[in-house]
Parts: sequence; structure tokens; C-alpha cells
Amino acid sequence: MPWTRRNIVLGGLALLGAGAVQKPAFAAASSNFAGTAVDNGVTFQKTNFAKIDKKWHRQVVKYFSSEPIGTVVVDTRHHFLYVIMENKTAIRYGVGVGREGFKWFGRATIDAKSLWPRWTPPPEMRKRHPELPEFVAGGSPKNPLGPRAMYLHRDGVDTGYRFHGTLEPWSIGKDASSGCIRMFNEDAIDLYQRCPIGTAVQVLPHIADQAESAAQVSQITPVE
Amino acid sequence: MSAPTGYMRQLMAAAVLLALTACTTTKVASLEEPAAAPMTGQTNDPAPGFETVAAGSEEDFILNVGRRIYFKQDSATLDSVAMATLDNQAIWLNKNPTWLLKLQGFADDSGSASQMETLSQKRADAAMAYLVSKGVDARRMWAKGYGNDREVRDCTERSCKVQNRRVVTNLRSQPDAA
Repeated sequence: MPWTRRNIVLGGLALLGAGAVQKPAFAAASSNFAGTAVDNGVTFQKTNFAKIDKKWHRQVVKYFSSEPIGTVVVDTRHHFLYVIMENKTAIRYGVGVGREGFKWFGRATIDAKSLWPRWTPPPEMRKRHPELPEFVAGGSPKNPLGPRAMYLHRDGVDTGYRFHGTLEPWSIGKDASSGCIRMFNEDAIDLYQRCPIGTAVQVLPHIADQAESAAQVSQITPVE
Repeated sequence: MSAPTGYMRQLMAAAVLLALTACTTTKVASLEEPAAAPMTGQTNDPAPGFETVAAGSEEDFILNVGRRIYFKQDSATLDSVAMATLDNQAIWLNKNPTWLLKLQGFADDSGSASQMETLSQKRADAAMAYLVSKGVDARRMWAKGYGNDREVRDCTERSCKVQNRRVVTNLRSQPDAA
């Protein structure tokens, strides 16, 4: 899937750009963090949720579509990820999704997941940015995947898309990534606990309250 | 005054009917989940009880700790992910000592119904033993295996099965009636 790789490349580029060009913005955004926490031996900056719109906080909401318990549903347009629970409820997380042209829709399963994953910039990306290291170690404060990654496969093949944490909590609620679904680091840790290997995932343009229309939308095949 | 009386009668009849319905719902739901009120409103409205979440409440437990742990096929062994959730549960339970808990095991693996019941009981027992090892008083807990009852259905076989290999930590304010 060459296009998948390209997406990862561009996502990484965007990240690099954000770090290199927007230093002042980065400094101003320091209030996006509040203290540190330790997870599996790694110290990381805690998200300052007081600064984050409540809309993006993890919460339990009503959910009237008919997906079975345990399914993960992503509403790309509204920047929400849901884990379906019992009695027409779901736990909802704010997420950052792909920019225009880097969106992906379809069904998948979580087939692998990892703690403080190492990030390996793909070869195409390193060609264009030779200054990039071969890899960024898991747990590094510069690793864009953060504390967790959950890998989305389709029919046993890696789609190239993941749920993961972020270095940029202000990008939650925005179209910012290369197609990966990024979450607050605390939420990536939480989601990891709730999704066993084999969990069904549906990435939709948007959810519909009616099961019928939701099913229709989910028939859309991967684009690009 | 006959009109209001008729109205009252209707109301009472409706109330009785509601009470009956509620009883049935509670009976089924108490196996694993809290009783479900008939839900109105829209997707994305706060779920009932979750408008504001107080520390130490059942809602706090559901939102910030998580009730479910999962198992591999035919296994009652706790993996590192299950232990991490149980660690969080133990911290919360030790902070909120008035809650009792029922550990409900489920299994949907290979084998007969009675084997599934045994496996689900082993899973619930394993979770309980782990919580005890983390300082939660054993007298606050009881564990029960439900075999392949209350299966999650209507997904692909694999995605359903992983949901059905679980233990749910259900908070209780009093012990089960015998």
C-alpha cells in the first residue's frame, strides 16, 4: 500500500514543520501541559485539561446507533471516537483526524497494540528529510506516537493507520494528522485498556443515529 | 369530579404497568449491567448520571477506571493489560472503601456449556485474587462465572468472541440476595 506510506511521510513532515517553524507558538502553548506523570517507567507531560474545551474531554454519552458493545466508532467530521457500551451509551473521546486529502474511512480491527512504541520514519520521508533519525525511541519526548499505539488492520493487512497519543494536545478536535487518529496521551492510555486485540473499528465520515444510514456510510471503501 | 378520577385511574394503571416493566428489566439487567432507564434524547447528550461525575461515584469508576478486563482464548490467566486495569481498580477501591463489588466472569471459547461456566468462574476468581493481592478486602467481593450468558452478538466472530472473554467489575452497595 504505497499511498499509506506516503501519508505517514507527509504526516511526519507536518509534525516536523510544526516543531521547526512554530517555536514561539510552542512556547506559548506550554500551558497545555500540567505537571508530569509516570507510565510504565516513562515520565511524560500531563495534559492540562483545564485549558481544553470540555467537548473534547473523555465522557459517557448517549449513543443510539446499533453497533455491538466493544466496537470503536470514529466520527471523523465531528472529531469524536466512541467505544460502545451497554444500554445505548458510549464512552466518547475527542480526537484529531486526517487533514483534507488524508482521511480514511472503512472497517478495520485492532490487530496489534504497543506501549511507548518506537517511531520509525519511513524511508521516503528520510530521503526528503535526511536530518531525521532512523527512528525515535519509544518514550522519547519527541516521539509523536506518545504512550500507546493501536494498529488498524483490515483482513489481516496493516492499513497503515493507528490510534495513538500526541505531542500536540491542541490538535485534538482538528484535522491535523496524516490520517492517523490522535488522542490525548491520557486517553490513548485509557483506550488501550478498553480494546482487546480483535476489537472491531469503524471509521466513518460521521455517525448517524439511524442504524440504516450508519451501515450505508460504513460501506464506503477506503479512498485515495 | 369524575373526570379527574378517571384520569387518576389511568395514571395509576400506567404506574403499575411501569412498575411491572421496571421489575422485569431489573431482573434481566442485574446479571451484569445497572438497570437501564428507557432512553430519550440524542446521541452525544450526557448519559444518565454522567451529567456531572463525582469522585468516588460509580460513574467515576466507569469513566476513569473501567470495569472490564479481557482474556485470551481458553485462558483464565491475567495478562499485563488486565493487570493494569485491576491495578487501577484496586487503587480506586481502596480509596472508596464503602463499595462492594461483584466480579462477573464470562466465557465464549471452545468447549461445552459447563466447561464455559468453569472457565468463566476461574476468570472471575483470578480477578478477585489479584485485587486481594493489591489490598482490597476479600470480604467486599464475590465472584461468579456466567459461562456464555449475555454474549455480545452481531459482530464478526472474532470481534464478538474477544468481548465475551471478560470479567466485569460491578460495583454494589449491598450483597446479592441469596
